[in-house]
Amino acid sequence: MQTAESTASAVISHMEKLEENSAKFYQQLSEKYTQGKKMFLQFAQECRRNKLQVTRTYQETITDALEAGFTFKRLDLNKHKVETTLPDEASYRQALETAIQLEARAGELYREAAEASESLLATIPMALRRIAQDRDQRRLKLQSMLGGK
Amino acid sequence: MTLLEEPLKEPFSVRNYINGEWLEPTGQLAEITNPATCKTIGRVPISTSEDVEEAVEAAKNAYPEWRRTPPLARARCLFRLKELMEQHFEELSRIQTMEHGKTIDESRGETRRGIENVEVATGIPSLMMGQNLEDVASGIDEYLIRQPLGVFGIICPYNFPFMVPLWFAPYAVATGNCIVIKPSSEDPISQTKVAELVEEAGIPPGVWNIVNGGRDVVSSMLDSPDITGICFVGSTPVAKNVIYRRCGETGKRVIAQAGAKNFIVVMPDAHREKTIGACMTSFYGNAGQRCLSGANLLLVGQGQSEGERDAFYKRFSDAFAAAASKIRVGYGLDESVQMGPLRDAEKKQRVLKFIEKGVEEGAKLTLDGRNIHLTGDWPQTCFLNPTVFEDVTPDMAIGREEIFGPVANIMTAPNLDKAIEMIHSSRFGNAASIFTSNGKWAREFQYRVMCGNIGINIGINAPMAFFPFSGMKESFFGTLHGQGQEVIRFFTESKVVIQRWF
Repeated sequence: MQTAESTASAVISHMEKLEENSAKFYQQLSEKYTQGKKMFLQFAQECRRNKLQVTRTYQETITDALEAGFTFKRLDLNKHKVETTLPDEASYRQALETAIQLEARAGELYREAAEASESLLATIPMALRRIAQDRDQRRLKLQSMLGGK
Repeated sequence: MTLLEEPLKEPFSVRNYINGEWLEPTGQLAEITNPATCKTIGRVPISTSEDVEEAVEAAKNAYPEWRRTPPLARARCLFRLKELMEQHFEELSRIQTMEHGKTIDESRGETRRGIENVEVATGIPSLMMGQNLEDVASGIDEYLIRQPLGVFGIICPYNFPFMVPLWFAPYAVATGNCIVIKPSSEDPISQTKVAELVEEAGIPPGVWNIVNGGRDVVSSMLDSPDITGICFVGSTPVAKNVIYRRCGETGKRVIAQAGAKNFIVVMPDAHREKTIGACMTSFYGNAGQRCLSGANLLLVGQGQSEGERDAFYKRFSDAFAAAASKIRVGYGLDESVQMGPLRDAEKKQRVLKFIEKGVEEGAKLTLDGRNIHLTGDWPQTCFLNPTVFEDVTPDMAIGREEIFGPVANIMTAPNLDKAIEMIHSSRFGNAASIFTSNGKWAREFQYRVMCGNIGINIGINAPMAFFPFSGMKESFFGTLHGQGQEVIRFFTESKVVIQRWF
C-alpha cells in the first residue's frame, strides 16, 4: 500500500496502470455498446498512447540530481484509486456514467501530480497537464452523450 | 509492499570482454552481493596484470583501424549503442539497484545521465572539429586538427556503476581512441551489460575492453607504457597519491576526480519547504554515497538580530530533522522506498565510526540513524537511517572528513562572509550550493566560492553531459575535466599545420 508521500516511480507506475486499465475498460465498452463503439475504441487507443507518453516523459527526464524520491509530497495515491470495472448487466447509461467518473478522477490525479512535480524538469508537468486536458475533453464528450447532465 | 521484478534470477557470471570476446574466468573470483537482501547475485573475476596486458594489446591493435574510421561512422556506432541502451533502460536500471542498493528512481536517473553522455558523444563530427585561419601571412594558411592518442584506461568507483564510465568512454571512442575499462569489483554487472550492448552495436573488437578486478588491474594500467591516459573517479588519497602521482611519473594524461565535503548554505530568505525537499535528495540520495552529496548544512543568519538568527536556526534545523526522520529506507526495488542501503557492511561500519566520533567531539545528535527502521523485512547489515548532527564545526572530524553516508552536519554562521570562509577551510572543492531568494547573495557566492560545481537553489550540482564535471582543490587532480568539450580535448592532441604552396 502506498503511503501519503509518493516517489516518482510509484506515481508513474500508478499512472501506467491507470492508462492500461482505462484502455481495457474502453475496449470492453466498444465491444458491448454499439452506440459509442467508434468513440470508445478511440479512447482506448488514446489511453495506450498516454501510457507510452507517461513512461517516455519520466524516463527521458529523470536524472540522479532531481528530487525524484521526494517530489510528490502531497500526492496520496490511496486517494486516487479509480474504478475501471463495469458490472456485466450495466446499461449504456450506467457505462457512460462510470466513464465520466473515471475521466473526472483521472483528470484530478494528473492535475495534482503536475502541480506537485513543478520542481522537476518542465516536460513532466507539461505532459501530465496535457493528459489532464485530454481527460477533461473526454469527460465533456461523454457528458454531452448523456444529454448534458 | 510490492517489489519490482528483479532482472537477475540466477547468480550472474561477470567475464572480461577483451578483443570482442567474452573470456571465462580462470583465476580468483569475488562474490557480488545485493546490499539490501545480502544475497549473492554474481561473481566477478579478479584479473591479473596478464589480463590487462592482453586487453591493452587488443586495444593497441584495434586503434589504427578505428582511428581511420570516419567520425561519422564512429558516431553511428554510438547512435546504435544509445538506442540499445534505451531499449534496455529498465533492465539496466534495476540491475544497478540490485548491485549497488540505490532506489529505482535513482538508478533510472543514473541510466539517463549515462545515456546522455552517449548522446553528446554522437555529435563528434562537430565536437572534434578544429580551427583554421587563412593568410596568417601572405599566401600562408594555418589550421588546427584534433587527433586521437591511442589507448586510455578508465578506472571506476562503486557509487555510480553505470554512469561514471560513460563520463569518459563514449567520448574516448568517438574521438578514435580505444579503451580498457575497470569497473568497480563491487558492482560490475551493469558495465558487463553495457559491453554486451557495445558488441551488439557493432563497435569493432578491441575498441572497448573490460577487465574486472582490483588493485592489480589498476597498477597494471598505471604501469602500462601503451596506455596514454587514465580517467579515474574515487577517493582523494588514491586520486592524489596513486593515480595522479603515477600518471605524472609515467607521462600519462590524467583526469582524477576525487572526494568531497560539500556545503549547502541556506540563507534566511530561502524557500523553506523547497529547500528542505532539495536537501533530502542532496544529503540522503544514494544513501549519501556520491561526491556531490550535501554533507554540511550551513545556516546563515545574514542581516538578522541574534534572536532572529537563533529562531531561524531552530526552525530550519527542526524542519530538516523532521523531514529526514520520515524518509522511508529499504530495498530500492520497492517503489515506495526513498533511500537504500550502504553498498556493504564495511562502508556502514565506517559511517558508524563517524557517528560515534561526532558524539565524542560534542556535536548534538538530533536524529540517530543507528536506530534502524526499514520498509520491509530486510537484513539490517548494510542499512542505516538518516542521521542529523547539530552544533557541528568545520574542525570536527564529521565536519571535515568525507563520510560518504547518510549523515548531515548542521553548522551556523552569522553572515555570508563567514560562511564562505568556513567553506574555504575545507581542503575539498567539489561542490557548494546556496539557497536564497536574493540575487546579490547568490552572485557573491558563485563569484567567490572555490568549488568546481556551484548550485543556486539546487542541491545536487551535477553538470549535464555537455558541460564539464568540474572540481577544485583536493577534489580534482588534472587539468581537463570529464564530459563535454573538455573531455574531447583530453582525448585528443591538437596538431597545428602551417602551409604554403609555391
